[in-house]
Amino acid sequence: MTADAFLFWFLAIVTLVSGLSVILMSNPIYSALCLAMTMVGISALFVTLNAYFIAGVQLIVYAGAVMVLFVMVIMLFDLKKDLQAFTRGRFTGAVKIASVGLLAGLVVGAIAMSVGLLNEKTTDNPVLVGTGMESTKALGNILFSKYILGFEALGILLLVIAVGAVALARSKGGTHEH
Amino acid sequence: MGMGKDIFEITVNGLKLVVIFLMMVQAVPILVWLERRGSAFIQNRLGPNRVGPLGLMQLLADAVKFLTKENFVPDTAKPLLYYAAPVFALIPGAVAFSAIPMSTPIQVSAFEMFGSTWGPYTFLVQGYDIGVGIVFILGVSSLAAYTLLMAGWGSGNKYSLMGALRASAQTISYELALGLSIVGVIMLYGTFNLTEMTVAQQGPLAFTLFGYTVSASWLPNWGIFYQPLGALLFFTTAFAESNRLPFDLAEGESELVAGFHTEYGGFKFNMFFIGEYGHMMIASGLMALFFFGGYGIPYVSVQEVQQWAASIGYGSGLVALLHFLSFFVKFAVFLWIFIWVRWTLPRFRYDQLMDFGWKTLLPWALANTILTAFVIYIASL
Repeated sequence: MTADAFLFWFLAIVTLVSGLSVILMSNPIYSALCLAMTMVGISALFVTLNAYFIAGVQLIVYAGAVMVLFVMVIMLFDLKKDLQAFTRGRFTGAVKIASVGLLAGLVVGAIAMSVGLLNEKTTDNPVLVGTGMESTKALGNILFSKYILGFEALGILLLVIAVGAVALARSKGGTHEH
Repeated sequence: MGMGKDIFEITVNGLKLVVIFLMMVQAVPILVWLERRGSAFIQNRLGPNRVGPLGLMQLLADAVKFLTKENFVPDTAKPLLYYAAPVFALIPGAVAFSAIPMSTPIQVSAFEMFGSTWGPYTFLVQGYDIGVGIVFILGVSSLAAYTLLMAGWGSGNKYSLMGALRASAQTISYELALGLSIVGVIMLYGTFNLTEMTVAQQGPLAFTLFGYTVSASWLPNWGIFYQPLGALLFFTTAFAESNRLPFDLAEGESELVAGFHTEYGGFKFNMFFIGEYGHMMIASGLMALFFFGGYGIPYVSVQEVQQWAASIGYGSGLVALLHFLSFFVKFAVFLWIFIWVRWTLPRFRYDQLMDFGWKTLLPWALANTILTAFVIYIASL
């Protein structure tokens, strides 16, 4: 086994184990910390693919900011009551079954779509153009030309979310009113 | 980004990582001594001056004290997180610090050893060269918030938790302004790579605007003359990121005892301390790299130094040494400013801190970004 293969398997196992721990841990804080670990693992996998920019952004945005907020919020609340509300009941059961279906669909879809992909030559992939600045430049060019509509739509979506969060935070009550 | 092509190169590169880590850790006691003597100087006191010459042996005494303290875990703590937090506190600092280029590469020509020919090699004076240096450093150091949260929550103490929440909220808030404040620098040099940035800052100040070439031979070609606002914003947010005064709300003694590390003593506390100083060192190193020419010697370019070294019969070793000294001087100046500010400015109130981060630093950083983009666009016409 080459060093690259070893690195890949090691990182893949770490990422998958921490991903599984997210749903297997009973304590939400450990779940959130495991999710952060998963993000770091994914970022390291990006590094092994020479996608340094995406790896760094993954670290900054997901591991460094989004998950920190999750962990912070979970630490602030006493979640025992919510935990019970989410482990019993007909509604929760329906949600669970729906999630299993969704996951199964995702797995099947991912496998079905990636079967042909492994043998294909992906030269227009911006990640493969080169390391460092070239791949970042290619990514930027493709993002602001070919995928500009999706990019702008995501920007508007994020703006709506930000406005919505502020509106929710201003209204009295919220989710944890007793 | 490999470690090397044969066993010698891999060994040297591995040793380099160890040396850089030890350099970071070993600089901490010296900085602590400097901080205590410096604070005493600022406050018209003497400071530690009894143990050894100038009190230098105080560091050794402190280390022995830290190591021999009782290993203590509070009853309400979560042992796993409680023990993991100080270890994790070292990682982001060490990993990010290794990515900072400290000098020009050292060339080793081919030589004979153990009956075979080795080389030639080129060794970088940095742990590893990652193409997107800045993004990597920002990404890794943003993970530091977890150690605070783990320590605060794992200690099972209300003061610790409050301190951790404050600290991580502050880190996240100021990270935005920090990231935006260097976008101008990235646009200016057109690269994420720290070495390329250093190369772009060589020689005397000269640039082209509206077809006119502006040059000032009495100023070095440093980033601070192009991005003064960016430099100010970056340095300010760097203070907040390393949780130093005037932004050390996380350990406001009068309110929170010692914040997230209230329950830590002995060597576990010391590791948090090393982590904090590690962030200071990264901030100082980046400040030197972005705005003060990195390892470049003012007014002269690396090529000129190489020619001069060749003319007196020395190779890349002397060139690397000179550039390392140049980097070290800048680095040390910024570390001293960190210490100086800590003992000069009072602490912010929490609402002032948040207002300052979100309503002052962030808009100014955005304005700096947009202004820089316009100027670069006009200059490129």
